Amino acid sequence: MKFLVFSDNLDNGKQIMSYLNGKGEFVVYTPDDSKEYADYGASRVVYLKGEHQAKPISELIASEIKSNGFDFVFITSTVTGRDLAAFLSQAINADIIPEVFDVKLQDSKVSTKRYGLGGKVVLEEESNGKIFTVIPGISDAVPSGTSSQVETKEIQRGNVNILSVNPKKGREVDLEKASIIVSVGRGLGKKEGIAQIEPFVKLVKGELAGSRPVCLDYRWLSEDRQVGYSGRKVKPKIYIALGISGQIQHIAGMRDSKIVIAVNKDKAAPIFQEADYGIVGDLYQVVPKIMGYLS
Amino acid sequence: MPYNVIALIKQIPDLELIKVNSSTSEPILEGVPFRFENLSKNAVETAVRIKEKYGGKVTAILYGSDRGTPVMKEAYAMGVDEGFIITGYQESNPRLTAQVLAGKIKQIPHDVVILGNQSADSMTGLLPGMISALLNEPLLSNAISVELNANSAKISSGMEKEVLELEGSMPVVISVAQEINEPRFPPVMQIIAAGRKKINIEPSSIKGNDSTKLLSRKAPKSDRKRVVFEDIDKGAQEVAKVIKEVAR
Ligand SMILES: Cc1cc2nc3c(=O)[nH]c(=O)nc-3n(C[C@H](O)[C@H](O)[C@H](O)COP(=O)(O)OP(=O)(O)OC[C@H]3O[C@@H](n4cnc5c(N)ncnc54)[C@H](O)[C@@H]3O)c2cc1C
Repeated sequence: MKFLVFSDNLDNGKQIMSYLNGKGEFVVYTPDDSKEYADYGASRVVYLKGEHQAKPISELIASEIKSNGFDFVFITSTVTGRDLAAFLSQAINADIIPEVFDVKLQDSKVSTKRYGLGGKVVLEEESNGKIFTVIPGISDAVPSGTSSQVETKEIQRGNVNILSVNPKKGREVDLEKASIIVSVGRGLGKKEGIAQIEPFVKLVKGELAGSRPVCLDYRWLSEDRQVGYSGRKVKPKIYIALGISGQIQHIAGMRDSKIVIAVNKDKAAPIFQEADYGIVGDLYQVVPKIMGYLS
Repeated sequence: MPYNVIALIKQIPDLELIKVNSSTSEPILEGVPFRFENLSKNAVETAVRIKEKYGGKVTAILYGSDRGTPVMKEAYAMGVDEGFIITGYQESNPRLTAQVLAGKIKQIPHDVVILGNQSADSMTGLLPGMISALLNEPLLSNAISVELNANSAKISSGMEKEVLELEGSMPVVISVAQEINEPRFPPVMQIIAAGRKKINIEPSSIKGNDSTKLLSRKAPKSDRKRVVFEDIDKGAQEVAKVIKEVAR
């Protein structure tokens, strides 16, 4: 079998390549630094030079598919990746199974797993899907011990003008490797609450994370600390949720944690269903008490 | 300068109200009402703000079922001028959804089509690209702000690592991210007025040939202990013990 991969997310791209390694020949297309992709078993890594735009990239990939005959296309689930997958599925008239985290290929049929109902359920489906957008976690990233040939292809200009590019600030924190994560939600109530929680984070030698409103809407924390479906997927030994209600999109990012501790003043908060230990109370009263018992 | 804006709306089951059958792990959907999908609300808000700023008309299209009527009324109360519900929605078939919506959009004169970038229930994120492809109109993706000029639209696009300023000529498709705005709560008078306004309901004429077969739909197993303390002191003591054990 022959696979084509598009990746503009290195971590996820490595996972996809590791998943495909041994299943057949695969070629990776990326606008990222192509050298980073060269150690994971791809027969070729194609660096996409030019403006990073979904439509023209989809045209380039569609023509590669026509000339080289790939069986399946794997695309990292990113803003560009999802748009690209959509354009490509129209261009080559192929079915697409989105947001998968598990793929089994048998003959022409494919069985896949993805989340449904906002993360509440797992949908196991059988289809004629040819294109997949892939969320993180399809495999561990394992270097292949071989080195791929690297080449460059130019992306044509699309029908959208890029007027400016402004990098987002915020350092990348390695939440995936943290063994204890203290995660705060809207229940924190105020930005100054972060400073009040930090001593606790230090004491347990943890990393600080947050729900989407805290990272995205209020910007009390940087975006790279957002846990959830559209943020980081974490699996620490202990996940401590403070003032987080436990909406499914949040749970989808911390479900694999070993132990979950939740503090919420609402006894009926759904987070208690997803917690091993819950304390009903004001986080500003509970946290100092826990610290007291720790030291 | 006035613009004709189309906002796309999805109706979804009220996710918070879905219970899981404890013996089969399957979701119980009977009796669960439909609600306005989160990002669709941001899309409608964006469209209405465009009308308020520049003038024009907002048309909303919902591909769902007649159970979407309350959702469309809410959209009217937010400021939508005319609404179409196309019935016959088929789940898990984004290509069909895009085809149905694009077919309807083509019948309506428009400068801008606005929709959410990913829906809160299925999160496929495919519709913006598919609709842009079918209409052959440029896609400005993941907008966190929008500005319209005579013949073009300009957005700030919130990508993972950067914010891009993008520009495309009208007619144009814009997908919006949650950060773009805080959707309004319409005043009571508007809600009452919206209740009397006509909604156009049309059955979809396109049938999908979906090859996808659902093998199972189950809640992931959660074997959490669920020990909940209402006594803060006891809880803190127990939790400290758990943390100490792991930290050791
Ligand atoms: C497409 C899509 C993707 C999404 N992706 C994500 C994602 O990746 N991550 C994510 O987190 N969300 C995501 N969301 C948003 C998600 O649906 C919820 O809105 C969000 O998780 C809620 O955050 P929260 O729990 O902090 O806030 P809330 O739901 O407002 O909960 C706050 C909680 O704090 C409690 N509280 C208040 N004060 C105190 C106090 N003093 N002490 C203790 N408890 C207190 C309250 O009882 C309440 O339960 C997504 C949504 C959509 C539509």
